[in-house]
Amino acid sequence: MADLLIEGLVKRFGDVRAVDNVSIHVADGEFVTLLGPSGCGKSTTLAAVAGLDRPDEGRIIVGGKTYFDGARGTYLPPEARGCGLVFQSYALWPHMTVFDNVVFPLTLRKVNAAERKRRVAEVLALVEMERFADRYPHMLSGGQQQRVALARTLVYQPAILLLDEPLSNLDAKLRDRARVWLAELRTRLGLTTIYVTHDQIEALSLSDRIVVMNGGRIAQLGTPQDIYERPADPFVADFIGTTNFLPAKVAEPGVGTALLELGNGQRIEVAAERAQTQGARVTIAFRPEQMRVATAGEVTNGEGSVVDARVLTRSYVGGRWQVGLDLGGGPLRLETETPPAGDAVRLWLPRHGGIVFRESGHVAA
Amino acid sequence: MSTTTSETGAPAAPARFPRETPIQYATTLLVVVLVAAPLLPVLYQSLLDGALYDHDARLTLGNFVRLAQNEGFPRILWNTFLLAGLTTVVAQLFGTLAAILFGRTDLPGARVLGELFLWPLYLSALVLSFGWYTIYGPAGYVTLFWQSLFGDAPWNLYSLGGMAVIAGVSQAPLAYLYCLSSAGMTDPTLEEAARVSGAGTFRTLWRVTLPLMMPAIAYSAVLNFTIGLELLSVPLIFGEPAGINVLTTFLFNISATSPRPDHGLAATAAALMLIVICFLVWLQGRLLGNTRRFVTLGGKATRPRPFRLGGLRWPLFAAALVYVVMTGVAPIAMLILRAFTSFLSPMIPLADVLTLDNFAALLNEPVYARAVTNSFLVSLVGAALATALIGMVALIVHRSEFRFRGPLHYVALFPRAVPGVVAGIGFFYAFALIPGIGGIRNSIWILVIAFTMRFIPAGLGAVAPMLLQVSPDLDRAARVQGADWWTTTRRIMMPLMRPALVACYTILFISFFKEYSTAIFLFAPGSEVIGTALLQTWVQGEVGVVAGLAAIQVAVIAVCITTARAIFGVKLHG
Ligand SMILES: Nc1ncnc2c1ncn2[C@@H]1O[C@H](COP(=O)(O)OP(=O)(O)O)[C@@H](O)[C@H]1O
Ligand SMILES: [Mg+2]
Repeated sequence: MADLLIEGLVKRFGDVRAVDNVSIHVADGEFVTLLGPSGCGKSTTLAAVAGLDRPDEGRIIVGGKTYFDGARGTYLPPEARGCGLVFQSYALWPHMTVFDNVVFPLTLRKVNAAERKRRVAEVLALVEMERFADRYPHMLSGGQQQRVALARTLVYQPAILLLDEPLSNLDAKLRDRARVWLAELRTRLGLTTIYVTHDQIEALSLSDRIVVMNGGRIAQLGTPQDIYERPADPFVADFIGTTNFLPAKVAEPGVGTALLELGNGQRIEVAAERAQTQGARVTIAFRPEQMRVATAGEVTNGEGSVVDARVLTRSYVGGRWQVGLDLGGGPLRLETETPPAGDAVRLWLPRHGGIVFRESGHVAA
Repeated sequence: MSTTTSETGAPAAPARFPRETPIQYATTLLVVVLVAAPLLPVLYQSLLDGALYDHDARLTLGNFVRLAQNEGFPRILWNTFLLAGLTTVVAQLFGTLAAILFGRTDLPGARVLGELFLWPLYLSALVLSFGWYTIYGPAGYVTLFWQSLFGDAPWNLYSLGGMAVIAGVSQAPLAYLYCLSSAGMTDPTLEEAARVSGAGTFRTLWRVTLPLMMPAIAYSAVLNFTIGLELLSVPLIFGEPAGINVLTTFLFNISATSPRPDHGLAATAAALMLIVICFLVWLQGRLLGNTRRFVTLGGKATRPRPFRLGGLRWPLFAAALVYVVMTGVAPIAMLILRAFTSFLSPMIPLADVLTLDNFAALLNEPVYARAVTNSFLVSLVGAALATALIGMVALIVHRSEFRFRGPLHYVALFPRAVPGVVAGIGFFYAFALIPGIGGIRNSIWILVIAFTMRFIPAGLGAVAPMLLQVSPDLDRAARVQGADWWTTTRRIMMPLMRPALVACYTILFISFFKEYSTAIFLFAPGSEVIGTALLQTWVQGEVGVVAGLAAIQVAVIAVCITTARAIFGVKLHG
C-alpha cells in the first residue's frame, strides 16, 4: 500500500488536452473518485498512473517510487509499476478459465504452486466466486466477470488499486447490489484506490474524497459532503444532481443574508456567507428536493421565500409528478405528490441550502 | 488480505534490459533484409555493364540507352499495356455485372453461382490457362466440336484478345469482391429513396447503385491493371508461340531461360517495371482511402431488398450459368479429365482413352515426383515459417510501442509493389552476389525465402484485421499485472490470434503451392516445384503430365480451402 502523488499532469492527443494540469494527492489507504462526464479525461488520468499512456508533463509518484517524471524523462513501463487496474471492459482473457486468469499475475511473480493455489482460492472466496474457478469468462454474467476482474487484480496485492467505471456495464439492479458489495469490500481491504465513474451516486457513496473533472481539469476536489453541499461552480452543481438554476441580480447585499431579485422582479432572501456586490449578476441553484409548493396562506418568512411561478409541463412518473416551471426566465423542475391545478403555482424556496454563484461561475456564497 | 506474503506490487524484476528490444529489432532487420534483398541487386545490376558477379563490371547508364534503342521494345511496352488494359476491362465488366446480379437481385441460385464465380481466384492463372487450352485451344474439345459442325472456330487464344479474356476471367473475382463490399451493395437507404420516388429497377441500378459502386470499381480496376502488367503465365503460354511479347516474357527470355542472359538489360527492364508498379500501388492506396469512405462497415446495414428481375430472371440465370460453366467449371473439369485420359476429343468415346498413365509417369519420373514433394515441403514448412514472421510483424506493428513500428509496417507492405518476376530476378542476383550460401541457392530454401518476401503483405492482410478486433484492454491488462511485452505476446496475444494465424497459414499455403512466376527464375535441378514443372512439361509438349500436375494442384487447393472453412471457419476473402 502506498500514497499517490500526481502533480501537474498533462496529456495531449493532438490539439486536445485530454488531461490538463491535474494535481491530486491520495493518502495511504484513501479512496478517491474521479467523477465527471464522458470524455473529461478520467480514463486518461488512470491510464497515466497505470503506465498505459505516456503523459506529456507532470509527475506521478506512488509510495515514494517515481512512476513518471516529465521533467527528468523518467517513465516506468506498466509491468514495473505494480498497480492494479480493473478495466471498464473487465478485460478477462477469453482463452483462460477463471482460475487461469487469476493465477496469471502470480505465475509472473514466480510464486510457488501451492502458494499460488492457496492465494487464488482465498481471493476467489473474497469475491464470492470460488465455485466458478473452472469456468471460462464467456460463461459468466457481467457481475461475475466484474468480480473475477477484481480478484485478478487483488490477488497480487497491488500498491494501489485503479478502477475504471467497474459498474457501468451492469444493469441498474445489479449495479446497486455491486455498489453495496464494493463499499463493504473497500472497508475490509483498505487499499489506496482511485475509482473512476460518471455516476454521482457511486461517487458519493463510496469515496473518501471526490475529484470532479471537467474538460481535463479539476473542477473541484473535496469530500462527498463538500461536493454535494458546496459545489464550486454551476458545472459541479449540475453534475452532482442540482438541476435548477435561476438567474438573478443582487438587490440588497448583506453579510448573512442577501436579497436577490429574479428575472421577473420577484425577490428572494438567501443565506450568504460572503458579502455581495450590489447589482452583481448571480445564479442561484436549488436541488429539486429543496423546493416545494407553498401551503395555502404561507408567506415569506425567516425560513424561506414564497414566489409565483408558471406551470409549463406536468408528467406522472410513478407515485409522483414532475412539474416543469418557469420562474422569471429560469426553467425549474419540481417533484410533487399532487400536481398543481391551473397554470400558476406558489413556490417555496428555502433561505438555506440554495447556492449562489457569481456569473463568472465561481462560488459566491 | 490477511496473509500477506513478500511478493506484492511489481514482480521481482531482474536488472532490466527490456526483452522486447532485441526481438523487435531482429524482426525488423529480417523484414528489411528480406525486402531489400531482391531490390538492391536489381537496381545495382541495371547500372552495370557486365554481370554483377563479374569483378570487372563497371558503372554505366548504357543499359537504359540500350533498352530504349532496343528495336522490339516499344512494341513490347505497347503489348504489355494493351494486354493489362484489356484484361482490366474484361475483369471489371464481368466482376461488376456479377456483383450486381449475384449480390443485389433475386436471381435464382445467386449464392451458388457467386461461389463458382470465385473459383479462378483460388487457382493460378497458369492452371486456368491450361484448362482453357484443353477446351478452347486449337485442338481443344469445344474447338474440335465447333469445327465438326460449323467449320473454323472464330476465336483464337493466341492473340491479345484471347489472352485478355483468360486473364480477365481469372481476375474478375477481385472486382466482384470489391464491388460486393461497396456502399452500392450494402447501403439500402439511398437506393430505396430512389425507388420510392418512382425510379424503375434498371434506372435505379444505373443512376444510384452503379455510381455508388464507382470507388470500388476504380480501386479494383487499378488493382487488376497492376496484376495484368505482372502476369507471366498467360502471355508465356499463348503469347510466345504467336510472337506476342510483353514485359514479363521479355524478362523471362533474356534472363531465366537464355543460355546467354543479358543481365544489364533484364535488370533495367525489371527496374522500369518496378517503378511503374510502385506508382500503381501508390495510386491504389489513394483510391482505397476513397473506397473506405464509401464502404458501409459493420452489421448495421441490413441487406437491401433485392431488385426484381421479373421476366429476365431465368434468361439472366441461364446467361450467368453459361458464363460460370464456360469460364471456370468446364476448363477445370476438362483439365482434370484430361489428366485421366490419353487423349481428349469429342470424336473419340471417353471409355477408350481413360487411363492412369499420366499419374504413373508422374510417379516414375523423379523430376515430377520431386516437384510434387518439393511443393508440399515449401508450402507446409515455408508457410509455417512465414506465418510466424508475419504474426510477429503484425504484433509489433499493431501491438507494441516499438519506435520503428511505422517504418516496419511500410517495409513489410512494400512487396505489393514488387512483381513476381522482378522478385525472382532480384533474388537470383542476391544469391549470386553473396558468397558462401551456394547451398541455399540450389535448394528449396531459396524458394521459401523468396515466397515469404512476396507474400508478407497478403499474410498481414489476413492477420491485421482480426488482430485489431482483439480489444487492446486484453494485452494492457497483462502489462499492468506485470507481464512484459514478450510475455504478454506469448501468453495472451498469440493464443487469441490463433484464428488469424490459421487464416494466414491457409492463404500462404495456397499462395506458395501455386506460385511459379518467382520460382521460375530460382529453381535448380532438384528444387523444382509444381509451378516450374508445369511450365517445363508444357514446353516439352507433355500435355498429359501437365494435366496430371495441374489436377494435383487443384485437388490440394480444394481440400485445403474446404478444410480451412469447415474446421476453422476461416474466411479467405472479403
Ligand atoms: N487514444 C486517443 N487518441 C485521441 N484522443 C483520445 C484518446 N484517448 C482519449 N482521447 C480523448 O481524450 C479525452 C479524454 O478521454 P477519456 O480520458 O477516455 O475520457 P473519460 O474516461 O473521462 O470518458 C476525450 O476527448 C477523448 O476523445
Ligand atoms: Mg473512460
